[in-house]
Amino acid sequence: MNQPQLHRRHKELPLRMLLMMAWRNLWRQRRRTLITLSSIAFGFALAVLTIGLNDGSHNSMIRNAINMGDGHITIQDADYAAAPANHKYIENGQQVVEILKATGLSGSIEPRISLQILATTANNSVGAALSGINTLTDQWGKMLKPRIVEGEWIGADDHRGILVGDGMARKLKVDIGGKVVLMAGSQGGDSQAQLGRVRGIFDSSIDEMDDFLILSDLSLARLFLAGEGADLSLQPVTHFAVFLDDQHQMTALKKQAESAINNDNITVLSWQEMMPQLMQFIAIDDAGNYIFLLVILVMVVFGILNTVLMSVLERTREFGLLRALGMNRRHLLILVFYETTLLSLLAVLVGWIFGLATHAWFANYGLNMASLVGEGTQLMGTFIDPVIYSELSMARVIQITLLVFVTTLITGIYPAIKAARVTPVEALRT
Amino acid sequence: MSLLELNNIGKSFQQGEITVRALDNINLTVNEGEFAALVGPSGSGKTTLLNIIGGLDLPSDGQILINETEITALKDSQLADFRLFKLGFIFQAYNLVPVLNAVENVELVMILQGRDKNQSRERAEHYLNLVGLNNAMQQRRPSALSGGQQQRVAVARALAAGPRIVLADEPTANLDSENATALLDIMHRLSQEEKTTFLFSTHDVRVMERAERIITLRDGKVESDKWPAKELVT
Repeated sequence: MNQPQLHRRHKELPLRMLLMMAWRNLWRQRRRTLITLSSIAFGFALAVLTIGLNDGSHNSMIRNAINMGDGHITIQDADYAAAPANHKYIENGQQVVEILKATGLSGSIEPRISLQILATTANNSVGAALSGINTLTDQWGKMLKPRIVEGEWIGADDHRGILVGDGMARKLKVDIGGKVVLMAGSQGGDSQAQLGRVRGIFDSSIDEMDDFLILSDLSLARLFLAGEGADLSLQPVTHFAVFLDDQHQMTALKKQAESAINNDNITVLSWQEMMPQLMQFIAIDDAGNYIFLLVILVMVVFGILNTVLMSVLERTREFGLLRALGMNRRHLLILVFYETTLLSLLAVLVGWIFGLATHAWFANYGLNMASLVGEGTQLMGTFIDPVIYSELSMARVIQITLLVFVTTLITGIYPAIKAARVTPVEALRT
Repeated sequence: MSLLELNNIGKSFQQGEITVRALDNINLTVNEGEFAALVGPSGSGKTTLLNIIGGLDLPSDGQILINETEITALKDSQLADFRLFKLGFIFQAYNLVPVLNAVENVELVMILQGRDKNQSRERAEHYLNLVGLNNAMQQRRPSALSGGQQQRVAVARALAAGPRIVLADEPTANLDSENATALLDIMHRLSQEEKTTFLFSTHDVRVMERAERIITLRDGKVESDKWPAKELVT
C-alpha cells in the first residue's frame, strides 16, 4: 500500500474568513452580546472613575504635602534626618544655591531655617518649631497668606515679625503685636534668646502647623545659627526646599544635585524619602483600591465567559459540521479566540468612551466631599481637599487597558479549547 | 481500480454494560463514478457506515482504503485534511453555516483548501447556478432560504471543492416531493458529468430508483449488494 499522499493545506491560514465569521457570530445573539458589552463597559468605566478619583486624591495629597513641606527635593545636613538638632546646618548656603542654579533646574530654591525652640510669653511657655523663610518668595507665603485670620503677613524688612498658628496663639495667650521670647539651646550648652512680635495669626487646618509652627523671616532665625558659630555672610541655612515646575524631572535633578554638590556633609533627599509615612499610606490605600478593581475584573471575566461559553455550547453541532467539512482543531480554536478578542476590543472601546466621559466630567467639576469632610481634613501631615478631581496619567490608561484586555483574552482560552475538542460524529448527533 | 475498499469493517459501541455490534464484517468495494445507495431499516448501521467511510468515526476493526490511502491509519489532523480534499458531505439537516450566505457557504471548503479567493468565488457561483440558485438567492443566508434551496446549497458545497466521493446521509428526508426529485436529478446528472462517486444512506424510493447499485444492510451486515439496471439487462 502506498504512503498517503495527502494534499497539504496552503500554509496561510484562512484568517480573514475566520475573522469575518467571528464578527458575524458575535451578533447572532445580538441582545446577549449587547448586554455583555454593556456590563463590561460599565465595569470598565467604574474602574476608570475609581482609579481617576483615587489618583486625583493621592496626587492632591502629595501636592499639598510638597507645598506645605520642604519641596520636591530637600537639601540638608547629612546627619539631620537621623537626629535633628539646631547645630546641624549647611554652612555655605550661598554656594549651594549657585551650584543648584548651575544645574539649570526649572523651579524655585527656597532657603529655610528650621529650629527647635521654646516660645515664651508672660502667660505660658511651649515647645515650638521656628521656621525662618524668605517671606517674599517662599511657597509657604502662597499657601499661608490666604489663611491669615488675624493681622498680616510679615513684611520684607521686618526682622522681628513672627506669625503663629491659632493653636499656638491660644496656648501662649498672645494677640497681634504681642511679644514672644524665642529661646534655643546651642551645641556649646549655652542658650540664646531672640524677641519676636506677633504680626499675624494663621489657621492652616493642620494641627501640626497651627499648634507648633512659628514663622519668621530668615534674618531672625539666622541669628540662632550665628549662636551656633555660623558665618552669616555665607548665608547658612538648615535646609533648602527645591520646588520644581515639572515633577517628572525630580529623579534626574536629584542625581544631578548630588553629583554637583558632592559633599559628604550634605544630603539630597526626594519628597518620598522625606515623607515615607505618606508613601506608605498611599500604598495601603492603593492596595484597597486594587482589591475593588479585582472585584470588577472578576465581573468582567464572568460576563465574557458566560457569553462566549454559551455561544460555544450552542454551536456544538455547527462545530461538528465544520470539522466534518475539513476545518481542523486549530481553525476552531482561532475562530472562538477571535470572537473573544473582538468582544474584548469592543468592550474596552465602549468602556473607554464611558470611562473617559465620566473622568472628563469629574476632572472638570470634581467630586465634592464637603458634606462628609467639611472644608477638608488632614491626614499623614498633609491636607486633603474637600473636592477631589479625577486625574488619569497615560501610564494608568495603558495599565487599565492592558489589564482588562489581557484578562478577557485569557478568559477566552477555555471556550476556545472546548470548541476545538469537538468530535464531529458526536457533535452532529446533537 | 476501486476507489473505496472496506475490508472486514466492524464497529462496536458500549451502552452501559452491553456491547452493541453496530457493524460486523463489512466488505465492500466501490468504483469511481458509482451512484450507490445504502438501504436498510432504522438501526441497520447505514449512518454508522457512512460516518466511518467519511472519517468522522473510527471502526473498531478492519481497514478502509480510499484512493489507496488507508484512512484508518490517519491521525486526527490528517483525517481532517483528507475530508477537506477528498470527500464531500450532504446531511439530512442541510447543516449550512448560519452566518455565511449561500455563496460563502459553498466557497468555505475551497478557502480552507487554500484556493485563490476569486477562483473559489467563481466556482461557488458556478455550482450554485448548476443547482438552480440564481444570483439574488446566492446572497441570502440559510435562514432566508427554503429547505429545498438550502439542500441545493449543500449539494453545491459538496461538489464545488472537487471531492472524489460524496457521502449523502438521507439528503431528501426533509424535502417535499418536488424538491426531492429535482435535487436527485441534479445530483445524478452531476455525478455523471463530474465522474464523482455518490454514496447515499437512504429510505427514499426515489433514490433507489436512480441508484445503479443498492447495498442493503441489516443488523450491521451486508444483506445484499445488487445492481438493478445490470440485472434487468441480464
